[in-house]
Amino acid sequence: MQFAEQAKKIYNKLVWTWNPGSEKESGDAIVKNILLHWFPNKISKGSLSWNYSFYLGTVSFVLFSILTVTGMILMFLYVPSVERAYSSVKDIEFVVAFGWLLRSVHRISAHLMVAVVFLHMVRVFLTGAYKNGTSVGSNRPVNWIVGIVLLLSTLLLSFTGYLLPWDQLAYWAITVGTNIASSAPVVGEKIRFFLLGGNTINQNALIRFYVLHVFFLPVLVLFLFLYHMWRIRKDGGLAIADHESLNQKPEKALPVKSKTYSLLGITNGTSVHVQTTMVNEEENTVSSVPHLIRRLWLVTLATTAATILLAILFTAPLEEAANPSVTPNPAKAPWYFLWLQEIVTDTTLKLGFITINGAFIGGIVLPTLLIALAVWWPYRDPSGTGSAGVWFSSERKKQNYAFIGICVVIIIFTVIGTFLRGPYWNFYWPWESWPTMPVKF
Amino acid sequence: MNHKNMKQKLEFVIKDKTIVSIVSIIFFIVTGYIVFNYMTPEWKMYQNEFQSVVEEKLGVDRAATVRGGLQQVYVKDLGVTDRCITCHMGMEWKGMENTENPYRSHPKEILVKHPISKFGCTPCHGGQGYATEMQSAHGFAPFWEEPLLGKELAEFYVVSNKKAMMQMNCNTCHRYQKETNGMDVINNAKQIINNKGCRACHIVNGRGGTVGPDLTYEGEKSAEQFNYERIKGFASMFTWHVTHFKNPKELVPETVMPSFGFSSSDAQSLALLVMSWKKAKLPIEYIPGNNFRDIPSSEESEKEERMKNGPGAFFVQRRCFVCHSVSSLGVEAAAQIGPDLALAVEDVQSRFGRTLDDFLMKPTGTMDVVLSTMIPLTKEERLEAIGKLRQAYELKKKERQSVVKNK
Ligand code: HEM
Repeated sequence: MQFAEQAKKIYNKLVWTWNPGSEKESGDAIVKNILLHWFPNKISKGSLSWNYSFYLGTVSFVLFSILTVTGMILMFLYVPSVERAYSSVKDIEFVVAFGWLLRSVHRISAHLMVAVVFLHMVRVFLTGAYKNGTSVGSNRPVNWIVGIVLLLSTLLLSFTGYLLPWDQLAYWAITVGTNIASSAPVVGEKIRFFLLGGNTINQNALIRFYVLHVFFLPVLVLFLFLYHMWRIRKDGGLAIADHESLNQKPEKALPVKSKTYSLLGITNGTSVHVQTTMVNEEENTVSSVPHLIRRLWLVTLATTAATILLAILFTAPLEEAANPSVTPNPAKAPWYFLWLQEIVTDTTLKLGFITINGAFIGGIVLPTLLIALAVWWPYRDPSGTGSAGVWFSSERKKQNYAFIGICVVIIIFTVIGTFLRGPYWNFYWPWESWPTMPVKF
Repeated sequence: MNHKNMKQKLEFVIKDKTIVSIVSIIFFIVTGYIVFNYMTPEWKMYQNEFQSVVEEKLGVDRAATVRGGLQQVYVKDLGVTDRCITCHMGMEWKGMENTENPYRSHPKEILVKHPISKFGCTPCHGGQGYATEMQSAHGFAPFWEEPLLGKELAEFYVVSNKKAMMQMNCNTCHRYQKETNGMDVINNAKQIINNKGCRACHIVNGRGGTVGPDLTYEGEKSAEQFNYERIKGFASMFTWHVTHFKNPKELVPETVMPSFGFSSSDAQSLALLVMSWKKAKLPIEYIPGNNFRDIPSSEESEKEERMKNGPGAFFVQRRCFVCHSVSSLGVEAAAQIGPDLALAVEDVQSRFGRTLDDFLMKPTGTMDVVLSTMIPLTKEERLEAIGKLRQAYELKKKERQSVVKNK
């Protein structure tokens, strides 16, 4: 009997009403539920609107969840050994029930996650959402930096996963990627050795990448994400909420019945009579249950459906088994590093005796500079609090142009590297066909 | 809560709910499509048809014994997992000899020594054993290098013997046999290797000369390692080898490999043979006669011995005999590229207007290249060569006189 009661208690902590009849019921759903209590009771309409955030952060997390679920199933099927990796992937493709779909969904979600996290960052920048607004105790720049670490972790997650199928695509993309790392002065070779657990890409590298891919990096992303969300609460919600409150005229609010926690316990009374900005609360906010929850569910559903559709349309590739003695032409890094590979080849210059090492500039100096710039930026943004949480604030015009400029360059180089570079890294227009690669028969 | 506000709220709620419904419907359709696909794989159709063919030919009782679901042959020793029998279900059935593929039973004789359980399918036939769809299983798919070595491929390359291509794979195990029953195409190529003396320049199976590259593991090369600039038409490794055998200079102008005037079918046989020379990790019981070596036949060794220790030994040891015979000293050129050196004394005089001594000390043209790169000779060796060539010429003259006398 007791057990049944306990079970019911736990059950009640996990479920909530979909259709609250009153504000109290709606509030209770948040407060009493273990899954929801990190959401605010009420949320401003601006925070909920599509065209402020585009829910890109939410989509990132949904993709991360899809990756976790599909990845955990794939862990039962994939064998991280040089001898078995490739054939276990072939088996996933051909004989495991829905295996091809599982793999395809996992792969497409990984690509999408890189893209969406990037777009989320672009959104945050262009809305000035890394800025502190009016709410007390907010420290949004920290969340921006957490975001940067999340972006880098996402890239690493994708990169470590890239090697696992142990096909030509995997092997040579990781070769190109880790060769770039080795171009760092003095410690370059050591870094590569550390990454690969040896001088060549072999079993040691495979197991390193595997353990990072299925354990350390996902756990890191999960914890950083939880902190990311917690910070949003601490920062007073999304930046747009700060912005909304600016536009509300402060008025005297009616005394509110309250409970005061004192040393002696709870005493009933009224709150201190102050001017608040919460007058329009009724008009500008909605209850999180059910409105935010419905939204999140909607975003989850749509992201999942889109991912599966894309996975059917673009099935995951699997090339020939890795062969260290045959370099495919062209050998390309994963697509999100191709802007770097493009810059690496473009900056290799010979001036008299001096050779400017492109890999060093494109592979080490430039990314380091960009990361440093991104970390530094919120602290040097001179615009006022009014620019936090609005798209294209006129005060931040120059900043936005500079940022868009950098993004456009990165995107253009990525497109060139991905679609317009053929054998020997030669340039090919889309309508020009690449020379056909020879086959055995 | 005023009225206007209430209505606004409702609007976005209705919109959200509509989108949820639409997305849900899409979700269900996609799920339905996936499940339908899962329930109706290509191979199920073949299995059903196999059952009805068996029913028709052998009766309902036999048809009931047909197994369903994915089938595979797993050969641990060879590292082979072949799912071909998922569709090719009649392989070991009696009474299915005259049906059509994929139901036909495998020819019996060959299976006696090559049971499916020990050999699988792809080690002989090629193709992609992992696959469970026809196109990719037959290996005509991107990123799969071993296509089915069958009729389609033979037709594509205009090989007259439709079963020729497969012999390449037979030779993985039968490599060290001089002749193997049923491998006529490869047997022919092996014969050519001996008759044309390829070993004068190339190491094959661990023995031979070093003028050309070692061919022992030629089949390990990948298609990307060849240059196709001069190939007209389809760029494949097979085409490269065939073209190269017909006329090496067509593909590699600076090569010293002579053109032997091979017919198309000889060139194709040779291409299949050299492509079969792979590093195969085979358990010992798969090697016919446990023979891991290419042992020269007594005839071959005798000839070699004769040339090595005979009066023309000098020319064999210095590898002049790769291009030149010295007929009067019993030296037979592997490839008749240069003239017979038995007549060098008069030949040099008439061609270059110089004495043999003068020419060998200061050669011009091709011989300048050969003697300064491939066969560097000291002054003493050159003098020795001149002496031997004079001796050969005297013998040759005598031979001629005796021929004249006999007439
Ligand atoms: C795995 C990667 C990430 C996940 C799952 C994630 C998740 C989220 C979510 C769910 C939100 C709520 C608002 C929204 O949906 O847009 C959010 C907000 C935010 N994110 Fe991220 N994020 C990630 C990466 C990043 C990156 C790369 C940055 C920037 C470098 C960043 C900076 C921020 C900031 C500053 C906010 C507050 C935005 C505001 O107040 O309007 N996040 N993130």
